[in-house]
Amino acid sequence: MDDQGCPRCKTTKYRNPSLKLMVNVCGHTLCENCVEMLFVRGAGNCVQCNTPLRKNNFRVQLFEDPTVDKEVEIRKKVMKIYNKRECDFQSLREYNDYLEQVEDIVYNLTNNVDVENTKLRMEQYQRENKDVIQRNKAKLTREQEELEELLLLEQQSNEQRRLEVLQEEQRQLQAKRKSKQALLDELEQSKLPATLLLAQHKVRAAQLETEIEQQKQNVKPTSLFSTGIQMNHTVSLQPLPRIEEALYLYKPLHVETYGPPVPELEQLGRYGYLNHVRGSLPQDTAGGYTSALACYRAIQDAFSGLFPPKF
Amino acid sequence: MKLNIEGLLVYFPYDYIYPEQYSYMLELKRTLDAKGHGVLEMPSGTGKTISLLSLIVAYQRAFPLDVTKLIYCSRTVPEIEKVVEELRKLMEFYAKETGEVNNFLALALSSRKNLCIHPEVSALRFGKEVDGKCHSLTASYIRAQRHSNPDQPVCRFYEEFDSVGRQVPLPAGIYNLDDLKDFGRRKGWCPYYLARYSILHANIVVYSYHYLLDPKIADLVSKELAKKSVVVFDEAHNIDNVCIDSMSVNITRRTLDRCQNNVDTLQHTIQRIKDTDAAKLREEYRRLVEGLKEANVARETDVYLANPVLPDEILQEAVPGSIRTAEHFLGFLRRFLEYLKSRLRVQHVVQESAPQFLKDIFEKVCIDRKPLRFCAERLQSLLRTLEIADIADFSAVTLISNFATLVSTYSLGFTIIIEPFDDRTPTIANPVLHFSCMDPSIAIKPVFQRFQSVVITSGTLSPLDIYPKILDFRPVTMASFTMTLARTCLCPLIVGRGNDQVALSSKFETREDFAVIRNYGNLLLEMSAIVPDGIVAFFTSYVYMENIVASWYEQGILENIQRNKLIFIETPDAAETSMALEKYQEACENGRGAILLSVARGKVSEGIDFVHHFGRAVIMFGVPYVYTQSRILKARLEYLRDQFQIRENDFLTFDAMRHAAQCVGRAIRGKTDYGLMIFADKRYARADKRGKLPRWIQEHINDGSLNLTVDETVQLSKHFLRQMAQPFRQEDQLGLSLLTLEQLQSEEMLKRITQIAHQA
Repeated sequence: MDDQGCPRCKTTKYRNPSLKLMVNVCGHTLCENCVEMLFVRGAGNCVQCNTPLRKNNFRVQLFEDPTVDKEVEIRKKVMKIYNKRECDFQSLREYNDYLEQVEDIVYNLTNNVDVENTKLRMEQYQRENKDVIQRNKAKLTREQEELEELLLLEQQSNEQRRLEVLQEEQRQLQAKRKSKQALLDELEQSKLPATLLLAQHKVRAAQLETEIEQQKQNVKPTSLFSTGIQMNHTVSLQPLPRIEEALYLYKPLHVETYGPPVPELEQLGRYGYLNHVRGSLPQDTAGGYTSALACYRAIQDAFSGLFPPKF
Repeated sequence: MKLNIEGLLVYFPYDYIYPEQYSYMLELKRTLDAKGHGVLEMPSGTGKTISLLSLIVAYQRAFPLDVTKLIYCSRTVPEIEKVVEELRKLMEFYAKETGEVNNFLALALSSRKNLCIHPEVSALRFGKEVDGKCHSLTASYIRAQRHSNPDQPVCRFYEEFDSVGRQVPLPAGIYNLDDLKDFGRRKGWCPYYLARYSILHANIVVYSYHYLLDPKIADLVSKELAKKSVVVFDEAHNIDNVCIDSMSVNITRRTLDRCQNNVDTLQHTIQRIKDTDAAKLREEYRRLVEGLKEANVARETDVYLANPVLPDEILQEAVPGSIRTAEHFLGFLRRFLEYLKSRLRVQHVVQESAPQFLKDIFEKVCIDRKPLRFCAERLQSLLRTLEIADIADFSAVTLISNFATLVSTYSLGFTIIIEPFDDRTPTIANPVLHFSCMDPSIAIKPVFQRFQSVVITSGTLSPLDIYPKILDFRPVTMASFTMTLARTCLCPLIVGRGNDQVALSSKFETREDFAVIRNYGNLLLEMSAIVPDGIVAFFTSYVYMENIVASWYEQGILENIQRNKLIFIETPDAAETSMALEKYQEACENGRGAILLSVARGKVSEGIDFVHHFGRAVIMFGVPYVYTQSRILKARLEYLRDQFQIRENDFLTFDAMRHAAQCVGRAIRGKTDYGLMIFADKRYARADKRGKLPRWIQEHINDGSLNLTVDETVQLSKHFLRQMAQPFRQEDQLGLSLLTLEQLQSEEMLKRITQIAHQA
């Protein structure tokens, strides 16, 4: 850390602890004084790589490695364009491929590999996906949303705890003040000897202490609606994750009966099977019962298992 | 003798049994019957280990389908060896009684350092070096290279084991570490891998806590152990701290610098491989794209850096696209590293939760949560692809990647604390990032879920109900056993005042008080005059001890003490301490004896026993509270209060008392032993402190031994020591605290035994 310094004036952090290093888009460092001096006119060339730079693009260097600063800068720019979310893709595989592509672009731009082509590619992408980019601008990724939610919960519980502690303290203070006042009143008015009153007071004070101990954790949370939903809750606007599954296909049941084929339900009357079956009473039909059904079951039963099973 | 424990025939390899052992076995059997978890407290020196072993072995023989395996976890290598020796005794007894040769396989497992027989590798001093060297000889790609290049050195023991060792199982028997090594030497097999392979079909495995609790190791070693196992954690009073340590990460500036070097090395290696053997990288890339699970491909020797616990459904998913290629991953690591560096450059203490950290990291360096989660996994794959032999060098970057995975996986139960300097040296910048786990139940949860019975046992587990709370499990049995004694051989005394009526206490306000220090000195001086042989004195911290000893020196107390006994002092340095211990024991053997000044929570208080004349008196100066200003502790207390409804004070007292009990328990290591236990702080007399001592100590504290002055203590001690000095024979114990089989079966004794167990 201490050996970091400005490449131009050779000041180091060790010699000047208040040294402020700046970095521009090319990823080369200069100290604040040198920037002021070299870029008085607002623009100029980088001392090390001769890239034309503007003064207002200088940022305070956050990281020890200036290339990381540069990369983060580039990455933020790229992310503004390449802002598709996981739900914009059919499968995870495609999303991962996309992520890798983004990573490639950032890598190229940072390490000055094939910059021109990469920039062209970016522009093309931007043109093609204009509306998606616009749409996703305000959206957070699912993970970020989760994080936000967690943070919110944490904040709430902290706040709640703080309030509880505060209330508790006040209640205790009040109770103590009251008991003290009561003692004074008693001393003033009662005819009992003072030592006795004091002893009584001591007992009461001890009781109060234990009561206070017990009363802890009796405050109900107030950050819930009566339905149990959190107040100030951010509702996720994202579509549910797509679940890829094969659709269910109905296949009619086929039962091996080991017997002669059973006539269909509709044909029973035609074949005369129903002639000797008791007709259904009006009460029975209320539940959907027909005499044909009972007859059908009985025939199924009778016909099954007549042949030896084939193996 | 053969015992009948509720219908189960138990072979017990001794002629006599303590009543509490019988009671302990009863409780244990109930736990196993219920297929649940248990918490059992029994004083040290009453034969916990043998009771456990004989009951569980008998249970295994009676119900081989219900309990297939016993996993016995202990803390240190000597303890592991002791367990194996007990087991050997038990098995010999079985063989003698039943006459049949049983096919029981029991073995101990330890690190490579303790098991390696390779002449060069085993000569290395540190465990890490041994592991690294071993890996460089046995990794699958090293062995693959040997096919093309016969000069490539490999470990012949592993080669031998790999070619034939797996076909025949290890012959039945009891193996401690040396036995395994002998066996390995005879066969020419690697004992470490033999042991790791054999635990799968062994009936009893004895190993260290970490093989089950540390997620990084447990995944490798204990993954395939059957559900129908019984897990025993012995000496488990510190189990919550072990759990927490196994999930916490500390990152200093030095770690980051070493990590930077690692990343640079990786970069060079990638560049080199790209020029020479690009196909390898492409192959890895293809595998990652396909989302193939790494473990399916990996061989047992390669899986050296397992990733910390990740939910399985995440592991099934493919590595995210942004870190798929090696360069991108390196860039990712670089950004992460620079971010951490910038975080460590703080001027004030920062405490934040994992979500806050994740949000910040996204804003600063655009790192998403998902790639972070895969960081450990990805690094592992990269290291394997690059075929880096000496993995020990990459510990820094491994640590960082583990941290990345943990921080993005868990949002609750962890906190991040960044401190710019140590509290004791506020002028020297020494930034540390603590990623500290506050919930011991996270690490131990898989164990409770996976195994049908988990038994937690120790000499000091009081109060019993706090362990189920902080470890978040439901025990079926919780019991505390007392020690039945033929004579009261322990004498706990609580000294509250000096001879001049000054209250004795180590509390913060009176810490510098000369009167208190002088009275502590007087106490030690008086005791040194009347106690024969060794005295062990415990202080609450090193700093406190230094202060007091310096002050004693100035007041001339030290000189007076030295007229009676020699003085030895424990220091933070391990070598110095073991030297002091050795000399202390020598001094106890000869002449007037010695005094050992040591520190609660130190090495002496945890692992060293002072049997018989090595410790006739233990003096505990003050209440050993933890350093309460530590931010990590504060965060943990807050978490305990919010999640488990344990109040700060309760936990602190509990923690202090378990350490105090550990310290004083060092002196009594059996029923023939005797010792004074002096608690020199008036706070011990309070009910809330006293009530948290183990029951076997609490029983002997009566009103007459509370809040004593120094000379009262001396009087009581003299009396006690004179009583104890009378000859004590086995016959005195028989029938009271030592039973033969006939005595055990008597009606009256069985009734008394039921009172020993104290259900919590």
